[in-house]
Amino acid sequence: MKIIIEQLLNGLTIGSFYSLIAMGYSMVYGVMKLINFAHGDFFTFGSYLGYTLLVMGISYVTSTLGVWGGMIAAMLIAAIGTGILGIVVERIAYRPIYPAGRLPAVVSALGASIFIQNAIMVIWGPRPQAYTSEVIPGYILNIAGFRINILQIIILLLSFLLMGILYYIVQKTTFGAAIRASALDRETAALMGININLIIFFIFALGPALGGTAGVMVGMYYRKISFIMGWNFGLKAFTATILGGIGNIPGAMIGGLILGVLEMLGSTYVSTAYKDVFVFLVLILVLIFRPTGILGEKIAEKV
Amino acid sequence: MNRMKHILTIVMILSVCFSINVLAQQPPVVIGLQGPLTGAEAIEGEMAKQSVETAAKMVNEKGGVLGGRMIKIEVVDDACQPRAGALAAMKLVSMKEVVAAIATYGSSVTQPASDIYEKFKKVNIAYGATVTHLSERGLQYFFRTCGRTDTQGIFFAEEVVPYFKAKRVAIMHDNTSFALGLAEEARNAALAVGNIDVVYFDAITPGESDYTVPLTKLRETNPEVFYFTGYFPEAGLIIRQAREIGIDAVFVGGDAAINEDFIRIAGLEYAAGCYMTQEALIEYFTNPEAMEFKAKYQEAYGSLPSSPWPVYAADALMVLAEAIDKSGSTDSEALVNYLKNEMTEFPSITGPIGFDEKGDRVGTGINLYVVNTDGNYSIVKI
Repeated sequence: MKIIIEQLLNGLTIGSFYSLIAMGYSMVYGVMKLINFAHGDFFTFGSYLGYTLLVMGISYVTSTLGVWGGMIAAMLIAAIGTGILGIVVERIAYRPIYPAGRLPAVVSALGASIFIQNAIMVIWGPRPQAYTSEVIPGYILNIAGFRINILQIIILLLSFLLMGILYYIVQKTTFGAAIRASALDRETAALMGININLIIFFIFALGPALGGTAGVMVGMYYRKISFIMGWNFGLKAFTATILGGIGNIPGAMIGGLILGVLEMLGSTYVSTAYKDVFVFLVLILVLIFRPTGILGEKIAEKV
Repeated sequence: MNRMKHILTIVMILSVCFSINVLAQQPPVVIGLQGPLTGAEAIEGEMAKQSVETAAKMVNEKGGVLGGRMIKIEVVDDACQPRAGALAAMKLVSMKEVVAAIATYGSSVTQPASDIYEKFKKVNIAYGATVTHLSERGLQYFFRTCGRTDTQGIFFAEEVVPYFKAKRVAIMHDNTSFALGLAEEARNAALAVGNIDVVYFDAITPGESDYTVPLTKLRETNPEVFYFTGYFPEAGLIIRQAREIGIDAVFVGGDAAINEDFIRIAGLEYAAGCYMTQEALIEYFTNPEAMEFKAKYQEAYGSLPSSPWPVYAADALMVLAEAIDKSGSTDSEALVNYLKNEMTEFPSITGPIGFDEKGDRVGTGINLYVVNTDGNYSIVKI
C-alpha cells in the first residue's frame, strides 16, 4: 500500500513533465499539422538555460533572490529563452518550407532536433551536468512513514497551474477561439480575418516555453541533465500526445499524466526492464483501436 | 678566394639544412586511437585523447622511436556504441600507415572492434574494457592495459563485504556488457565465498532519470551493502534517489562509477561516505613516469584525468612505442611477439607492465576508495 501511493505520486510527477512537453507538441500539431520533433530538444535547451542561471551564476542569482526566488527566476528565464528559440527555429527551419508540404517540414524538424542537440553539446560540453545541491536543497518530508519530496509537490502544483492557464487561454478567451479555429481549418480561419501569423508566433513561443519550464523542473527534481535527454522525454511526451488525442490540449495533459502513472505502476508490478515496452504498447493499442486518442476529435469533423 | 669561402659556407649551411630536413622528413609512426568522442561517454574519450597525446609527447621529446621517427596519433570516434565501434575499427585498419590501435573504452564496443583488428592482424590494446571473456576468445592481437572484472568481483566479495561485516548484499547493474559482467563476477564470487546472501540482483536502463521503481524493490529486500556496477551518471542519480526513499545500506560503486561528476550529480551530502572498488587513480602514483605524465598533462589541460581509464590509454601508447622501438619493427607479428614474450615489468605510467599469453596485463591492483566529506577520495585500508 505504501509503495503504491509513493509510486502514484512519482508517476504523477513524471507525468506532469510529459504533459507540459506534450502540450507543445499538441499545439503545434493542432495548428500546423506538423510533428515538431525538435520539441524534445527545446526542453533540453530550457533545462540548460536554467542550469546556466542557477549553477554557473550561482553567487549572483541565489544570493539576490534566495533559493526559491532563484528557482522561479530560472524557470521564467528558461521559458522566455526557449520561447525565443522556438520562434527562431520556426522562422529558419519551418516557415521557408511550409509550401513544400508536410513531409519536408517533418524532415526539417528532425534536422533541427539534431542541430539543437549538438549545439547544446558544443556549448555546454558532452558530460552530464548537475543542478548541484548548493542551489537546490533537498527537502524530504517524513509523514507517517511516507517520504515525500517537497519539490515533487511544488512541481505538481506548478505544472497544474501552467496547464490550467493554458487551458483557460485556449478554451475561454477570444484568442483561444482563434487558435481552435485555425486548428480546425487554417485557410478558412485566415479568410475569416484571423491573423494566422500571430497564432503561429504564439504557439511556437508558448509550446517551447512550457517545454523549457519542464526542463528546469526536471533538472531541479533529478539533478542530472544531459544533452541527449530531450529525445527520451520528447518521445514519451509525443506518445502522451497521441494517447490523449493529437491536437487536443486537455488530451495532452491527461495523456501525459496517464502515461506517467502507467509507466510507474507498470514497472513496479510488471518489470522495470519492460518499462518502455509498456509505454509503447499503449501507443500501439491506442493507434489500433482509437487512432484519435482518448479525447481526440471525431474525424467526421474534418470532412 | 674569399668568394670560394663564401660559397663553401653556403654549401655547408645548405647541406646541414638539407640533412636536418631529411631527418625531419622521416615518416612518423602512426598509432590509432579509437574512443568515444561523442555520445554519453564522450568525456572519457576526450580525456583518453588528451592522455595519449601527452604520452606521445613524452615519447617524442625523448627522440621518438626507431631512431628518430615521431609518434603520430590518428583518432577515430566510436561513440561507445558497438556498431559505430566496428566502423571505427574498419576505418583504422583501412589506413595503411596505422601500425597498431589503442582500442577501446567500452567492453561492448571492444568486442566487435577487436574481432576486426584480429581479422586484419593489427595489434589492439584496450584501455577500459574489463569484461573477462574478451581475452578468453583466443585472439592473437588483442591486449589490454586495464584489469579484468573478475579480479574486481572477487575483491568485492572476499574483501569489501567482510570489511563491512555484511551478509545481505544487493547488486544492481545496467545490462551493458561491462556492468553485467562485473555484477555476475561479484555474485559468483559472493556465492563461492559463502556466508553472503545476494538478496537483490537486477538491471536498470541507463540514460533515464527516474530509478525509484527498481530502488523501491531493492529497499524491500533490506540489504546491508548495495553494489552498483554501472556508470557514474546513473550512479549519481541512484545514490540520491536511494537515500531519498530511505535506503541506508552502504553504497559501493564499481570502477565506472568513480568520477567527479558522480559527486556533482549526487550532491556532496549523499556522495560523502560512498565507496568504490577501483583501479588506482593517477594522482596516487609517484613513479617517475607518472610524475612526468602528470606534469605534462596538467600543463596542457589544467587538471588531471578524473578517471583511471584515460591513463591506461596513455600506458598503451608507451607500451606500443617501447615494443616498436625494441623490436625495431612496426610489423604486427614482431610486436605481438615482443609484447607477449619479452616485455616484463616495463616501467609505464601506472607501474610495471607485462602481458600474459591471453594479452591480459600482469599485475594490476584494485583498491577500495571512499568519498570524503570534502569531495576527495581516499583509499580505505582493508
